[in-house]
Amino acid sequence: MNVLDVLDRDLVKVPLMHTDKQGVITELVEVMAKAKGYSSEQFQAVLNAVLDRESLGSTGIGNGIAIPHAKSDVVEHVSLVVGISRLPVEFDAPDGQKSRIFFLVLAPSKEASAHVELLASIARSCTSQVFRRMLEQARDSDEVVRLFME
Amino acid sequence: MGVPFKQIVVYQDGSESSMTAIMYGIKLAKEHDAKLTAAYVVNTRALSELVKAGIFVTVERDEYQRDLQLDADRYLRHASRLAQQKQVIIETIKLEGTVHVVMKELLKSSKADLLVLGGVTDIRSRREELASETDRMLRTSPCPVLVVRDDDDIWLEFEA
Repeated sequence: MNVLDVLDRDLVKVPLMHTDKQGVITELVEVMAKAKGYSSEQFQAVLNAVLDRESLGSTGIGNGIAIPHAKSDVVEHVSLVVGISRLPVEFDAPDGQKSRIFFLVLAPSKEASAHVELLASIARSCTSQVFRRMLEQARDSDEVVRLFME
Repeated sequence: MGVPFKQIVVYQDGSESSMTAIMYGIKLAKEHDAKLTAAYVVNTRALSELVKAGIFVTVERDEYQRDLQLDADRYLRHASRLAQQKQVIIETIKLEGTVHVVMKELLKSSKADLLVLGGVTDIRSRREELASETDRMLRTSPCPVLVVRDDDDIWLEFEA
């Protein structure tokens, strides 16, 4: 399991509209909910799961990246939403840097292996500073998909 | 070199293609009267990477480690059930570590003469080429490797 297995242009949003942590997380979950046709209860359940995880410690990992994630049995399979913000968002990253690149990862509890592999794949993909810079400058969702395909 | 094969190891990772591989491995073991082993590696290296990268907090790593163990048990039980259906004796092994490294050690220590893998991914990006554990196993295996295409015909034939 890696990013390309789940990357879908309908689950990429460029640019994100919100400029605060809670707003960005909500916006990413909305993208997922819209694409998957979730009910408002399902949307809320997913959002709560992500916020609960966030309360354990920030998923801002530094270098301008945040990877909010959670287990939720609302989702059928491991899923990914990518969001790029034009403005840096305070995400409490350990390096103090604000985030512009966001990956929302959701997985059902029965797919722990795939969940871990996808998170590791995202971490690996974003080790390159050049790649991060290109992602930050992506104009639309097609360009984000294309960058991952290169 | 063992031909016909006497010690077949099938790598399991819970993916659909690894399910196809175990079906193929079971049929192959039956045909060759070979010893069959299904191996699953709990990828503790990936977990460590996630903690190091700051993606997982410690409590989360422990929770996922338990989940991964449960995943492994579930898929190995499934492999056992499939083998039983075809009256093939199977040994299941659960290991931990860096997948391709641990698998290489297993293949050597068990004197395997064939490794069966599910589909090797199409290379869709340069980054991906360097990361796939299946691809690494294919390259580092000390014994011959059979890559099973994820084909509906194998499922149909197995269930027939």
